[in-house]
Amino acid sequence: MLVYTIKRLLQSVITVLLIVSIVFLLMRLMSTDYYFTEDELIKLTDEQKNDKLKAAGLLEPPLVQLGKFYKQLFTQGSLGTSRRIQANVPVTQVIAGKFAVSMKLGIVAIFVSLSLGLVLGILQAQFKEGILDGIGTAYTILVRAVPALVSYSLILVFGVKLLGLPSMYSTRNVAVSSILPVICLSIGAIANYAVWIRRYMVDELTKDYIRLAKVKGLTNSQIMFKHVMKNALVPMAQTLPTSFVLTIGGSLLVERFFSVPGMGALLVDSVGRYDVNLVQALVMLYATMGVIGMFIGDILMMLLDPRIRLVGKGETR
Amino acid sequence: MKKSLALLLSAVMLLGLLAGCAPKEGGGSDAKPIKDFLSYQTTANEMETFNFQYTQSNKEIRVLANCIDGLLTNDNKGALIPAIATEWTTPDGGENWTFKLRDGAVWVDYQGNEKGKVVANDWLVGMEWTLNFWKNEAANTSMPIEMIVGAGDYYTYTKGYASDATDKEKAAYEEVCTKYGLDPNVVTTKEDAMAFGLEAFSKMVGMTAPDDKTLNIQCLGALPYFPTVGTYNCLYPVPQGMIDEIGVEGYRAVTYDKLWYNGCYTITTYVQNNEKVLTKNPKYWDTESSRFDTVTVKMVESSDVAFQLFQNGELHHVDLTESNLKTIYDTKDHKYNEYLTEARPTKYSYQIHFVYDKKLENGDPDVNWNTAVANKAFRLAWYYGIDRTDYLRRTNAINPIKCANYTYTAQSLSVNSQGVDYTQLVRDNLGIKVDADKIATYDKSKFETYKKQAMEELAAKGVSFPIVADYYIIGNSQTALDTATVLKETISRDLGDDFVTLNIKTYVTSLAQEVRTPRLAAFFINGWGADYGDPKNFVGQETYGDDNAYYSITYSKINDATDPDLIATYKEFTKMVQEADAILDNMDNRFAAFAKAETYMIENALVIPFYVNIVWHLTHVNDYSKIYCPYGTQSEVYKNWETSETLYSTADYAKFEAAYNGR
Repeated sequence: MLVYTIKRLLQSVITVLLIVSIVFLLMRLMSTDYYFTEDELIKLTDEQKNDKLKAAGLLEPPLVQLGKFYKQLFTQGSLGTSRRIQANVPVTQVIAGKFAVSMKLGIVAIFVSLSLGLVLGILQAQFKEGILDGIGTAYTILVRAVPALVSYSLILVFGVKLLGLPSMYSTRNVAVSSILPVICLSIGAIANYAVWIRRYMVDELTKDYIRLAKVKGLTNSQIMFKHVMKNALVPMAQTLPTSFVLTIGGSLLVERFFSVPGMGALLVDSVGRYDVNLVQALVMLYATMGVIGMFIGDILMMLLDPRIRLVGKGETR
Repeated sequence: MKKSLALLLSAVMLLGLLAGCAPKEGGGSDAKPIKDFLSYQTTANEMETFNFQYTQSNKEIRVLANCIDGLLTNDNKGALIPAIATEWTTPDGGENWTFKLRDGAVWVDYQGNEKGKVVANDWLVGMEWTLNFWKNEAANTSMPIEMIVGAGDYYTYTKGYASDATDKEKAAYEEVCTKYGLDPNVVTTKEDAMAFGLEAFSKMVGMTAPDDKTLNIQCLGALPYFPTVGTYNCLYPVPQGMIDEIGVEGYRAVTYDKLWYNGCYTITTYVQNNEKVLTKNPKYWDTESSRFDTVTVKMVESSDVAFQLFQNGELHHVDLTESNLKTIYDTKDHKYNEYLTEARPTKYSYQIHFVYDKKLENGDPDVNWNTAVANKAFRLAWYYGIDRTDYLRRTNAINPIKCANYTYTAQSLSVNSQGVDYTQLVRDNLGIKVDADKIATYDKSKFETYKKQAMEELAAKGVSFPIVADYYIIGNSQTALDTATVLKETISRDLGDDFVTLNIKTYVTSLAQEVRTPRLAAFFINGWGADYGDPKNFVGQETYGDDNAYYSITYSKINDATDPDLIATYKEFTKMVQEADAILDNMDNRFAAFAKAETYMIENALVIPFYVNIVWHLTHVNDYSKIYCPYGTQSEVYKNWETSETLYSTADYAKFEAAYNGR
């Protein structure tokens, strides 16, 4: 397992570096006019523009720039400074502030959605084809059928008009102003978790060992919680970490909608503004998060189900 | 996604409109003023830097002008008034200027703790920063270089040159070194320039601070309008103490909590793309002024979200989109119907800018268009033939004609000694009587004459009809498409499909990169706002053969046109501008000469003045009490604003406007 873990780690590092390099080179293929704001294009002479590009190192061949980027990263631990989101501020500083906000909201949303989703799914499985199952299914269909923007808009209107909640996230009133964004982040995930756990639990309930447990005289609750739920959670363990890291990475839509100063819109904004250093740092962050999520998922599966063993290529799993 | 978001938000707003509660009734002179003002900006307008010397964008200027005071400011009618400088004089008609600074102005940190006195040396440090290539990366250098002695030399000196520099770059550097007795073989490096203080600057640049309260500036020639530059951020102070405290790199990357402030507010909270809070500066020099205790600026996704916040009582003003305005205006019993108010025009003047060297997408010249647009009768057919009322409704659905613009220069920029606005001189020359009911330049009979003449002359030159005019808009904006569609219908109706057809095309993100540089558009509708208070800053953008003429270089491409008549017309116009600019001893004569040049430009329809922006809003602020800023940076300084906790009504605004205009 140790060898496999080390191999996976190396593969992960190479994957991240490849992604970052490709994105870096693609960004350099864009015209340098994007480097300037419309105001700068108005006010700077061609000579001044050229001077600025030269100063930023953008006139060098892309591979030379890539080499300098990695040299700076590995020798100084620096990812450079932001140019357009927060001029000349280190990108790590820009991201850190945003990441904290997204992470807090994401963790609360995951807690809410996981708790409610699991409870709903379990109840649906336990009372299959009963009223609760119907309600759960109706909720799932509704959430999946209605576009997120519509449901967010309705949540916004009713949350503000009926409950008097603030329509914008505020760092001065975090708890109350987080309610609507958390609801929006959770409604879809609740449905997903409920569907997931219901499906696996219903699958488990049809297996032979359940009949054996019933014959042995175990109560329904004992069967559900000691056997069915435990086994149903195993497949979820693989995707849960990835889902977790992506959620704490921020949601573009929800963060835009409620003016949450998080990570969600940062990548889009930084690409749009040709903030190359920030784009690279974000791509690196997201790639790392995705790779770590998958890696932890595999480990978790193995820990939860002793029958599963992580093995190298050529062996069976 | 933005489009869907906008559509959905519109639906949400409609729900909000139906569900909301009635506003408190009109504010009057006895209304209670607001103490904590709630404002907004869209997220696309979030600031990117706190360095006032570096910014060239209104995104930052509108915030930082509240934090840093310069030499001068404007009053609510646009007149130049003291800020840190209490008086400004010139002994020689504008070549040398002396600014006397006030006592009692101090720098504070973001929490209001005093850091030091505001002294004349701060302007030298500020200008050194602006002109130092490596510190400020060439931002905001053009005005000082064009106006102040030695500014260009210092810029060249700090820039140095790289190993792959051209001979021209090397020669420029060596010339500067020789001029000031410096060794041309010692090339300034980035490290050198970042460490520069005022030593070389003082040798080269015509700015001195003989004492803490006196600032002398030597211009390249007599520039009677130079004090208006004192409102612009290229001529703003930087305290040496702050640089010592946070370092050169620290000021390049300065954040709100490291910045020193001498303006009416400090920024006490800043959360990027969420909100910023400006708090009244307790040590501000202008103790007589009225200011808010706090100003909170919320960042919102769109104007529709802002409207939602306004209805929730979370904002004190909101600009209305055309759809919201129409809904409120057309619904007589709407709760906001009696509260619709019209803002004052902004400082921008929008024109139709023809492109005289247009290309096709394959890079070949668009001969058909280029030949047509070089024809005077063709251009005048546009000038007299387009009834732009429907187009103006897109900006101002209620009073479209009020937005009609008949001069290239924006109103209130300059006023002669008789109190006559410069633009009135141009209108008088053109014989334009502004009419509240119709577009003054629209003349069907003149149009028919010019159209016939143009078609005959152009047909003889082999031009095929209809002439296709490519017009570009950004691809992801329904608003832009709707506006362009109105323009297309207007051109079809007024000019005739047998004459001109508008071809709407889209670009993805960059107008400059995708359209302007490859010269794909036949014309642009674009606005210009002045940086300083002289007509030269407007008409000077259109001259022939001048590298600093922004519109000629980047939009009209007149310097690459080939038609001899067109070039002769442009040269004549340029000559008139140069003659006007040479008049420095009498401002009335100067303005009259510029007005003559501008008249010539419009009579030949080289550019067609089109509109000014006048939006409708719901507001707790009397717009007429705000600083009016025909140039410079002061338009959104939250100082001496008259506000009311109750919403101002249409009737209130009519009174404000009448009082403002002395009626």
